[in-house]
Amino acid sequence: MLCSRSVGSRSFLRAAFVASLAIILVLVNSAPSLASKPAAKIRIGGTVTIDNVQGSLWSCSFNPYGATTSLLSAGIIYEPLWYVNQDNNKGQPWLAKKYAWSNHNKTLTFTLRSGVKWADGKPLTAADVVFTFKLLKRFPGIDVNAIWTVLSNVVSHKNKIVFSFKQAAVPFFYYIGDQTFIVPQHTWSKVKNPVTYLDAKPTGSGPFKLHKCSPQNIEYIRNPHYWQKGKPYLSKIEYPAFIDNSGGNGYLDGNNKDVWGAQYIPNINASYVHAPNVNSKVRHYWFPPQGYDVIMYPNLKRWPTNILAVRQAISIGLDRAKVSRLGVYGYLPPANQSGIIVPDAKSWYDKSLAKKYNYSYNPGKAKKLLEKAGFKLSNGIFHDKKGRKLSISVLNVGGYSDWVGEVQAAAADLRQIGIELKPENVSGTTHSADEQDGEFQMSYDSPLGGPTPYYQFRQLLDSANTAPIGPGKLAQSNFERFRSKAVDSLLKQYALTNSSKQQHTIIDKIQQVMLKQVPVIPVLEGVNWYEYDTTDLTGWVNKKNDYAAPAAYNFPDQMVVLLHLHLK
Amino acid sequence: MSVVLGRLQFFVITLWAALTLNFILPRMMPGSPMTAMMARFKGRLSPQTVQAYQAAFGIHPRDSIFTQYLTYLDNLAHGQFGLSVGFFPEPVINVVMQALPWTLALAGVTTVISFVLGTLIGMVVAWRRAGAVDSLVTPLFVVLSAVPYFWLGLLAIYFFSVIHNWLPARFGYGITSSLTLSWATIGQILTHAILPAGTIIITSIGGWILTMRNNMVGTLSEDYVQMARAKGLRPWRIMFHYAGRNAILPNLAGFAMSLGFVVSGLLLTEIVFNYPGVGFLFLQAVENQDYPLMQALFLMVTLAVLVAILAADAANALLDPRTRAKR
Repeated sequence: MLCSRSVGSRSFLRAAFVASLAIILVLVNSAPSLASKPAAKIRIGGTVTIDNVQGSLWSCSFNPYGATTSLLSAGIIYEPLWYVNQDNNKGQPWLAKKYAWSNHNKTLTFTLRSGVKWADGKPLTAADVVFTFKLLKRFPGIDVNAIWTVLSNVVSHKNKIVFSFKQAAVPFFYYIGDQTFIVPQHTWSKVKNPVTYLDAKPTGSGPFKLHKCSPQNIEYIRNPHYWQKGKPYLSKIEYPAFIDNSGGNGYLDGNNKDVWGAQYIPNINASYVHAPNVNSKVRHYWFPPQGYDVIMYPNLKRWPTNILAVRQAISIGLDRAKVSRLGVYGYLPPANQSGIIVPDAKSWYDKSLAKKYNYSYNPGKAKKLLEKAGFKLSNGIFHDKKGRKLSISVLNVGGYSDWVGEVQAAAADLRQIGIELKPENVSGTTHSADEQDGEFQMSYDSPLGGPTPYYQFRQLLDSANTAPIGPGKLAQSNFERFRSKAVDSLLKQYALTNSSKQQHTIIDKIQQVMLKQVPVIPVLEGVNWYEYDTTDLTGWVNKKNDYAAPAAYNFPDQMVVLLHLHLK
Repeated sequence: MSVVLGRLQFFVITLWAALTLNFILPRMMPGSPMTAMMARFKGRLSPQTVQAYQAAFGIHPRDSIFTQYLTYLDNLAHGQFGLSVGFFPEPVINVVMQALPWTLALAGVTTVISFVLGTLIGMVVAWRRAGAVDSLVTPLFVVLSAVPYFWLGLLAIYFFSVIHNWLPARFGYGITSSLTLSWATIGQILTHAILPAGTIIITSIGGWILTMRNNMVGTLSEDYVQMARAKGLRPWRIMFHYAGRNAILPNLAGFAMSLGFVVSGLLLTEIVFNYPGVGFLFLQAVENQDYPLMQALFLMVTLAVLVAILAADAANALLDPRTRAKR
């Protein structure tokens, strides 16, 4: 936490506060079957230990709607209607067996699976689902995805649950299907205030049950009556609490087997794979991108970042691969100015546009752009006509060692083209307070993102997410203060349509805005932190079999990984 | 009697000043619990949700700062600390009580041990000042107390856990064991405490040794010690009852203060050994703009230090008749 907790803490936020959004483009209602291997051959047993630094001891609260507790119960204990892979947007039926949009995308109907039981033996019914959604309406404090801003009613007919919306709301499928966790009416109806409810003894429908919890460790055991026959295979999950990266990484690097890591580890080959006294053959890691960019937010209301040529020159003058190498051991892939995560969202990436505007690294071109805009070099730094030095302070979180390194590397690059970057490393709270007020020249940060580019764009560019500069009104995520009626209406149109073709056209237009106006400068692509050990267990996510977003802080993806793991 | 009253008066005024500072300081930091919350959700909260959260946190943005202050004092008087923002929805009192026993045990025991050991060693080295023990032990512990704590902690982990696997490197007890009252659990807690406690004692004992030694050297040259020697008393009796009893007085106040600060936790120890405790809570409360948790922790420390100072005064009065004398 003090120095290098950096990535752990961001990943934590990302997970704990409902990682990301997705839009299901799948119009077909059937999805791949859940079974990966005939259950008969697989032995029941084995324990996995999750090593995911949350920076605090466990409070033994399992409220699936608690800001810091969701990832401990959402998925593992309480399940969603539909599962969506956060990395590649592939959907899968879960508590519901099918769904359909109707009435111009204003009505969504789920059909509930039959035979699902709560851990106490009572059946899970459509009434429980309706109860859960009505609970979010009665208590806005647990409606963390603002579902009821678009939803107008939920009713059930036998095993069907019908959601009626005020307007077409296709992007909200993800919130409703994947990010709302169904709770039992017979226990939760007695809860006075679900916002402050601890839920220390949760009863869910999920694959695992809480066995015991202490501030230092949570132990889950297999739910033998789980509705997916023969699953889960694992008999136990251990989830120790680590208050700091040094503890979490020490445990992961040490001689412990069957550990599922979700950690940023410096120099991972030496310190994890080839750690002393361990069998390096069973140690693996994979850091796939996770639908968000790490970004430089230029303040569009302040000189000199309000000048397009300056923003373009920065984007062209950054050697992003080098920034990654020097800042984070090259773990994060370089981002592109279009703001599309490749390879994950490759189908959205408009190559011809990217080629036309061409933001590939080219220091000579960057300098020319500045000269054309009237800047003159003196003592190696550009100055404008009034003699003002092209020097930009960059707001950054001093505790995130990787971010600090990245900005330093970027500063060295831009110095070459005559732009001075001055890192201003502050605490996390000051960083976000200044971003929300607009009191900065340039800020280094990342949005939460999502499996399709729409969500990152909505956070970055929607004028609903910005505010005027100064205290009082706070910007939620559009910190650069970008306002464009055209982009706002493109984002609205996106929500109206279920057609993949139309959605692609809309995203193409937004990419053009990113390339033409450079509202923000994407630097690197954020990744899942994921280490795994194959001493006794198999079934892990890997490049060839990417059935879930593999970092343990992604929920409910973590449930899908846990259901795949089994003894060799 | 008037001494006691005067002390109490002082106690009440200090307490009020500290409580008021506790209220003001967090509010002077940039941002608020709400901005911290918004930063986490990044553009997904509806205005209704924001309001609901504010209500749950007990934030009423329209209230004047003075009304907030009165509510704050009222809540404190009733022992109502509210819900933690960082550990939402856990009540502050639960969060603190979870960490406090570990801190009290580890910090309390190590403080007492290093005070007792340090004082004894200080006494002995002063008695034999300039001898072989003094010229070896005193500089050694002075150097050790200057060693950065985290470095010593990491070194201890490397040697005792990574290389030799003799002692556990982290946690307050074995993570897979349940915390039931049994010999096995107590044994676990003790073995897990060896490294953190050992490193704390090694780095903190030097201070006690040095002050005790210097006080003792002073008292040893006093007339009454010469007198005792002349009477032919046994050396240990002179050392403890004549010189030691007087030399310890200044140290006692320091000891009381450090006992008071025990409740503020051991931040570095907790981080290096992933040990549960209050010090880390403090850091987190500040990072999360967790006003309720900060206020509870500050109150606890203020009260503990004030009580410790009162106790030290009382102890001084008992041990040193001069302080009781009417002027």
